[in-house]
Amino acid sequence: MSHLIGGIFIQLTWGNALALVLLGLVGGILSGFTGSGAAFIMTPGMMNLRVPGVVAVGSNMAHRFGNNMMGAKRHAGLGNVDKKLSIFLLVTALAGVQLAVWINSKLFNLGGGGEGHGEGSGSGAVSNLYISVVFIGVLTLVGAFMLRDAFRSPDSKEGAGPSMKLANFFSKLPLPPYVHFPVADVRVSLWLVLGLGLLVGYLDGTVAIGGFVGVPAMIYLFGVPTTVATGSELFMAMFGGAWGAISYAYQGFVDLRLSCLLLIGSLLGVYIGAYGTKVVKEVLVRMVSSSIILLAVLSRAVAVPVYLREMGKLNFSEAWVPWLKGGSTAILFAAGIGGAALVLYHVVKATLERRRVHATLLVRTTAGEP
Amino acid sequence: MPIIFICSVPFSGGERVAKSLAQKLGYGYMSREDVVARANEAGIPVGKLEVAMVKRPSVQERMARLKDRYLAVATATICEKAQDGNLVYYGRAGHRLLPGVSHVLRLHVLPEHGQRVETVMTRLKLSREKAEKFLRDIDGDILAWVRFVHGIDMDDSRMYDFVANLENLNLENAATALCGVAELPDFRPTPASQRAMQDRFLQAQARIKLSLDDRTADVDLTVRANDGVLTITYVPLQARAASLISDAVGDLPGCREIRCTMASTNVLWIQEAFKPDSETFREVNELARRWGAAVELLQYKPGDAPSDAVAVAVGRSAAMEARTGGVEDDVPEARPSSEEKSFQETLEALVHEGRSGGGQRVSGSRDRLSAVISPSIPYSLVVLGDLFLDKPPATRTRLVRELSMFLGDHVKAPVLSTADLAAKLHLGGREVARGAVAGVLVVLIYCGVFLWQDKLIDLLGGPAHKAAPWFAAVLVALMAPVIAFLYGSVLASMMKWLKMD
Repeated sequence: MSHLIGGIFIQLTWGNALALVLLGLVGGILSGFTGSGAAFIMTPGMMNLRVPGVVAVGSNMAHRFGNNMMGAKRHAGLGNVDKKLSIFLLVTALAGVQLAVWINSKLFNLGGGGEGHGEGSGSGAVSNLYISVVFIGVLTLVGAFMLRDAFRSPDSKEGAGPSMKLANFFSKLPLPPYVHFPVADVRVSLWLVLGLGLLVGYLDGTVAIGGFVGVPAMIYLFGVPTTVATGSELFMAMFGGAWGAISYAYQGFVDLRLSCLLLIGSLLGVYIGAYGTKVVKEVLVRMVSSSIILLAVLSRAVAVPVYLREMGKLNFSEAWVPWLKGGSTAILFAAGIGGAALVLYHVVKATLERRRVHATLLVRTTAGEP
Repeated sequence: MPIIFICSVPFSGGERVAKSLAQKLGYGYMSREDVVARANEAGIPVGKLEVAMVKRPSVQERMARLKDRYLAVATATICEKAQDGNLVYYGRAGHRLLPGVSHVLRLHVLPEHGQRVETVMTRLKLSREKAEKFLRDIDGDILAWVRFVHGIDMDDSRMYDFVANLENLNLENAATALCGVAELPDFRPTPASQRAMQDRFLQAQARIKLSLDDRTADVDLTVRANDGVLTITYVPLQARAASLISDAVGDLPGCREIRCTMASTNVLWIQEAFKPDSETFREVNELARRWGAAVELLQYKPGDAPSDAVAVAVGRSAAMEARTGGVEDDVPEARPSSEEKSFQETLEALVHEGRSGGGQRVSGSRDRLSAVISPSIPYSLVVLGDLFLDKPPATRTRLVRELSMFLGDHVKAPVLSTADLAAKLHLGGREVARGAVAGVLVVLIYCGVFLWQDKLIDLLGGPAHKAAPWFAAVLVALMAPVIAFLYGSVLASMMKWLKMD
């Protein structure tokens, strides 16, 4: 606990401050590249830097709050936001966020938050374990689905995209009343929308990964076009994120210093990552994204025994602890840095190629001149 | 004589009007069924495509390539038949397949509802209630299909030259009346409109060939044909396909040249008169360089009278190269005007820069302009250059603004005037000042955060937080977006300065 101020906030050194900026940069690149929030690397990355899980989630939400606001504004300008859909989702998403904040706060206090935040063993080990388990559960499914999708349907074959079985199944369910969303041009059962909002809000509030479920669900379950799904989710996340950040701040779990450091790298990274999508094949984007997600899951899984030991639920030699913690950090940072480096490599390569390809590449005069 | 497109819904009597009209005029007849049969032969599952597009918008994105193939087959089938002689086509908004071709007569047949229900009841042996529901469903599906495939509302009367309402009009009389319309000189072919149709045919044939070749079938390509010159753009991440494109297209009749351009995206530049040495050219070219975009020129002469869209190729004047048509004697041989020369030179300059996306010319109403803007080309930006040149400056500004708003509703891309473009491209003094102020504020905020960490931590989670937790909530609610906004502004200015925005 000596590394924590008041049992919740870490002592900042030049080393971990730089690591946070780097984490932001890597997260930003991956965020721009995968088109999702990069909480899958930011949250565990901060936890690996010994930030308590609940503070990592709260600080990341505060950091994303501003980012989402700017992203939503841009999407709204392009007509990609179905505000009606966002507002319907938001109704239950706010409840979901509140539920998640309440559970996280209770578990943190239960599992020992030090002087300021409860007592017990293991400096928030219960909360850390809970966050890790949710993270592992959800992202294993998402990562596996994306990876299978990438291998099954190279972006080449027409109509061989993700399965529409779920969408067809849900569209046949008689669940009135139905609501029509004009921009997305879909008609969806109100109960499905409210249920999804609650799930997205809960996941956003728990690990800040609501978008990972929200966007695919809108596409596959509701039949919303991809750009509208992304824009509407960002619009909703702007309010949901703000609500989550404020709620966590009220509970005392937002470290603005961490948010500021993450922001330095992440905004710059988003520019680079977004450019990367233009020069990297879509199938590679999906493969890289899913691989990083699954490695982030592995990293969390490696850290789980440590939390269980801190809670007294698992007994093994203390000598293993630094190895497990180090291994978890190494896997996560290797995955993040590796992924970001891959994107950077393609961006630099494409920039150099573009300079070479200056003129119109091929001009052929045919025999069929009229 | 014109190609007559008759659009209507099933069981409306439209098909009978079309057949009767073809018989009276001695024209060939073709219906949508012929196009669908040809598409199915080409391996396009039209039924599946229809169901997918009508039922689920998310599938539409994935079916886009298949849709392009279908449109190409439809265009080629109609052009092939129309080249043999006069043609009456019955279907759904088929006239949208030949944008810029003026010898097209667009007719909409509106059914008499009661008669239509009776027809369905008799033919399908349905009760009145079921027949009405059947018609509602089928009409809804057709409207959705036309909206997605052609980007228009099929019921919009502005899309047609004439509407025949069968409520008080007998089918035979409707056909007789339309015979007179078809004879009007306004719908006769001109060399320019015939050339435009040949280009549409060439473009469709090239698209079909590229989609049938295994090496290029899965590559995202934009194909334009301008006066026998095929301009094909491909995205950088599929650069390997570049060398295969030419082989895949092969030798097509009427194709003089194939140009392949690598472009991440497309920019459409609409202007009344182009000049390669103008400031606007430099601005657009600079933008294209930054975005890796191909620039397509569209010379637009605003006016009420509709006329042809003329595709123009580099190094060859449209007027000089006009091919002969049925009424060519009516058209005096023209020398290239200075405007045409400038247009050619601008295209040449773009080719030299490796940014040409082709060019075309159109005059007439705003609807005519929007009709020639292909919905299948993913434009990232539409630039409105110097337009309405014969109007006073204040009127010009207003008209450009109105046109910008009109196109904004019809084109799926932001529409910018050249003034807006300059502001977007260049880091003006005001923007520098704003970026500098934002930068200073960011530095001050960061200094404050890190120099007074203890106090901040106290407020966020220490004893001060315990006393007033709402203060931390307000602090985060204010600071998080403010810092993101200020830092984002600094970064955006820097990227613009580095020309990497």
